[in-house]
Amino acid sequence: MKAAIAVLFFALAVRPALAHHAFAAEFDSKKPIKIRGTVTKMEWINPHAWIHVDVKKPDGTVEEWMIEAGTPNTLLRRGFTKDSLKAGTEVIVDGYQSKDGSLRANGRDITLPNGQTLFLGGSSPGAPYDEKK
Amino acid sequence: MRYLLVIVMTVASIATASAQAPKKTPATPAKTAVPKTPWGDPDLQGVWNDATSTPLQRPGTVGAKDVLSDEEAEEFQQQLANDLSRDRRDGGADADVNRAYNEHWMDSRRLKITSDHRTSLIVDPQDGRIPALVPLSPEREKARAARNAANARFNAGLPDQYMDMSLPVRCVIRTDSPPYLPTIYNNDFQIVQSPGYVVIAPEMIHSARIIPLGDRPHIGKNLKQWLGDSRGHWEGNTLVVETTNFRTDDGVIFQNANPEAFRIVERFSRVDAKTINYEFRVEDPTTWTKPWTAVIPWTKIDPDEQMYEYACHEDNYDIVHFLSGARAREKRGETK
Repeated sequence: MKAAIAVLFFALAVRPALAHHAFAAEFDSKKPIKIRGTVTKMEWINPHAWIHVDVKKPDGTVEEWMIEAGTPNTLLRRGFTKDSLKAGTEVIVDGYQSKDGSLRANGRDITLPNGQTLFLGGSSPGAPYDEKK
Repeated sequence: MRYLLVIVMTVASIATASAQAPKKTPATPAKTAVPKTPWGDPDLQGVWNDATSTPLQRPGTVGAKDVLSDEEAEEFQQQLANDLSRDRRDGGADADVNRAYNEHWMDSRRLKITSDHRTSLIVDPQDGRIPALVPLSPEREKARAARNAANARFNAGLPDQYMDMSLPVRCVIRTDSPPYLPTIYNNDFQIVQSPGYVVIAPEMIHSARIIPLGDRPHIGKNLKQWLGDSRGHWEGNTLVVETTNFRTDDGVIFQNANPEAFRIVERFSRVDAKTINYEFRVEDPTTWTKPWTAVIPWTKIDPDEQMYEYACHEDNYDIVHFLSGARAREKRGETK
């Protein structure tokens, strides 16, 4: 029964939307990553925002990672602003690395050191959009 | 180089939809005075949102029930929200990598059923299901097979040429072609009126559909348009829009209907200050055995929540990237 609902939804709602947003085309399910680093900047660009994270390696060198995040209009509607994730914030990124091996990943879960998860539907900071409903 | 590479298989914290019992909203046109424009037409202007989890067709889980009680509705809503949620972490890595496109990317209203507790957006036929299909002509069967083959090439990452990407994939036309159905995000529509015209601008793709009012005849039968050719008139306070003349391009026409025979009548009725009932009736005797009708509530959104740019493609070179990627894969020996 659940499957029936899911299939109906897919036919109804995902009609075109995921066609060119297939993360599986860009990111590798065989390359799960979990990195801890410091946010250097967040680019609010269309169609998807990017979070830049510096990751210190055991040998002291630093790798610059880019983590793909949501689309700016959706982030704004969920109460996420340019001030929500400031440079210097430490984050833990749980995601998948890009297929081409570059230091890019999609952010499946992005967590603050205190355990707060960013970018999950039910955990938006503020979320005025939902509160007004 | 191989530092913190950890496979994480944690249990998802699944965001469930609000468990508040929705208030019933009458699905009948407003009995109170409908606001009017300065020139006397009913005023439908504003930005409206049509997101809902109520499925187009009635799922088997609810049997023959067309409307649920408060308790049943809450359970239905939670079940749909659970199934739709992309915040879950079950399903393995292949599902997980795509669910990074999680609920934070989506319209949160899409996890709530309609306030009238219907079990399907389809109201006619009474079983809430799309009527039986008419067998395809050999010509349409051939075209359908060709489209499916092109989609398969694209989905495999090996499109032959740009036409293998359908018009929605190319971001030319997608949810802006009537009838309007809820989708996962950017479910907003702005209605603007002037004497003699109504314009509907969907946020996704943001094409402006210009609807002349009155008895002006349709354009010639040989002139086809992606959004069709619409004509509107008022029946009381309801805006009635009839649309024909759709193009035959694959990937756009609603539910694979036959553009030559496809006709849609939409009715926009103001229910109250914050709600429009959007009803559409589609007919195409070469596709469905009988016409069918759906009703979707449109909710006026907070003025603070403005229309935004919908950026469809990563820069304007996605098609080039798709094709150059496909050629690179072929050189590496990948096959379809």
